[in-house]
Amino acid sequence: MVGYWQLLPEGLVLTGALIALFGEFMPGGDRGAVRIGAALAFSAALIIALDGSSGTLFGGMLTFDGPARFIRAGVAGLTGVWLLWLSGRDIAPDEPRRRDAAALALLSAIGGMVLAASTDLITMYMALELSTMPAYVLVGYRRRDVAGLEGALKYFLLSLLTSLIMLYGLSFLYGSTGATLFADISLSGTGALGLIAALLTIVGLLAKLSAAPFHFWAPDAYAGAPASAVAFVSTVPKIAGAAAMVRLMHVMLPDEPQLQWILLLAAVVSMVLGNLSALPQSDIRRLMAYSGVAHTGYLLLALSSGTQYGYGAVLYYAVAYAVPSLAIMLVVAEEGPALADMAQLAARRPAVAWSVVVWLMSLIGIPPLAGFFGKLYLFRAPLEAASTPWPVAAVVVAVLVSVVSAGYYFRVIRQMFLADEPDSPCVVPNSVASNIAVGIAVVATIAMGIGIAPLLELVGL
Amino acid sequence: MMQVGPGAFLALAAVLFSLGLYGAVSKKSAVMVLMSLEIMAVAVNLNMVALSRWVTPETMTGQFFSMFTMVVSAAEIGLGLALVLAIYRRSRSIELSTMERLKG
Repeated sequence: MVGYWQLLPEGLVLTGALIALFGEFMPGGDRGAVRIGAALAFSAALIIALDGSSGTLFGGMLTFDGPARFIRAGVAGLTGVWLLWLSGRDIAPDEPRRRDAAALALLSAIGGMVLAASTDLITMYMALELSTMPAYVLVGYRRRDVAGLEGALKYFLLSLLTSLIMLYGLSFLYGSTGATLFADISLSGTGALGLIAALLTIVGLLAKLSAAPFHFWAPDAYAGAPASAVAFVSTVPKIAGAAAMVRLMHVMLPDEPQLQWILLLAAVVSMVLGNLSALPQSDIRRLMAYSGVAHTGYLLLALSSGTQYGYGAVLYYAVAYAVPSLAIMLVVAEEGPALADMAQLAARRPAVAWSVVVWLMSLIGIPPLAGFFGKLYLFRAPLEAASTPWPVAAVVVAVLVSVVSAGYYFRVIRQMFLADEPDSPCVVPNSVASNIAVGIAVVATIAMGIGIAPLLELVGL
Repeated sequence: MMQVGPGAFLALAAVLFSLGLYGAVSKKSAVMVLMSLEIMAVAVNLNMVALSRWVTPETMTGQFFSMFTMVVSAAEIGLGLALVLAIYRRSRSIELSTMERLKG
């Protein structure tokens, strides 16, 4: 497709969002609107996947290249999976409203899709805000639950604070180079002002990705939110955020090599803190929040290498992490948020239990699943680019803490297969739509690992 | 006649930004934090408009950028106040220090 037709997938998702917002009298009510949204999101993902054309729009403000195509398809596809699941289940046990959640998720997906293609400071900022603003509302979706609202407020205040710090950095980035297009921004010769601008900008993006030391909002916000909302909020905006980080590093790292050390430091702190804090958790939402911090650490590790190889690895792993993580939270939303709620899942629903095993194996990094190849490339990137021993040491730390991470992932598996039956096991009604969503996630986790070659070509690895 | 250069605007923006940042991390009431964040947003807009006037006077890119950020921050404050109101209806308090239900 050429010209403005390249925005067709965004248009389809926007149509879905508007139908969900205003479709009071849709056939099938709430459920019907969510189904239409899922169908539109899937067709958007399909169009992006099949259409191999590339080009720029609005004088270079949007660039549709291989990485943008991969991330846009991932965002649209995952939103489709989430909506398909939602069409079969309630977002929380006592919360029947669904259309609003579907509209918010679709709007956030548009933000993520545009963010992946944006190569201009203004479009990047607008898309970043569009992809995160619906997330605050999804976190506080249960209006009667004060704990959820407080989590949402904490998330909102910290997110707004860091995005203003980033915006201050963006204004200096514009001021010191006179350009907002990434292609025209060059920090060489801008001196201290350029470095300050880059630092302020990175702070904002690190917070959006919930990297240490800006991660503390994530466990609190997620523990108060419905698990199904966490499934979306903790994955889809993060994929697009990683894509934006890659594009910005393309611009800033060559001229400001000191940033590499900041990324490396944030990576090591995130990996160690995330994995060690996840170990004692008994609420799976909290556990996955800390695991998300750790995985952001792995992403930053490859990002700090500043090579094309590292950037490709980051893009691939952003999606390879999001698929299993989203799917596990959907199962948690069905069963209950406490680790004890997963007890004897294998006896009650063996297919779902084995699916969870596949996703956890991918997160640990067992071949031939997506997570294994993702981690392999992530950890190889800094080794190949290393000119000092520090990146190598960071990779050693990364490998060690990923072994530690197996500890808490195996606790979930042990609970599913070996723990005693709870006194009153919750009976989850069967739902075809959500079973299909779970099935798609399993297939995607395996297929991304086995059929990795075309994807790597797309992200430029 | 006295000339006011770009330095004066950037300094004012930096002072406003620092005041807002101080308020955002030190105030106990959620509404005060929101107001401090708004001061930070104003500082950023001032910065952009001033830089636009002196760096790219012909294209006015910065002025358009600040138009977009103003719309975004208005939307964000609306969302923030809605959250604060919803919490106030349930717990009759908007003090951030009382929001300890989720610590762990």
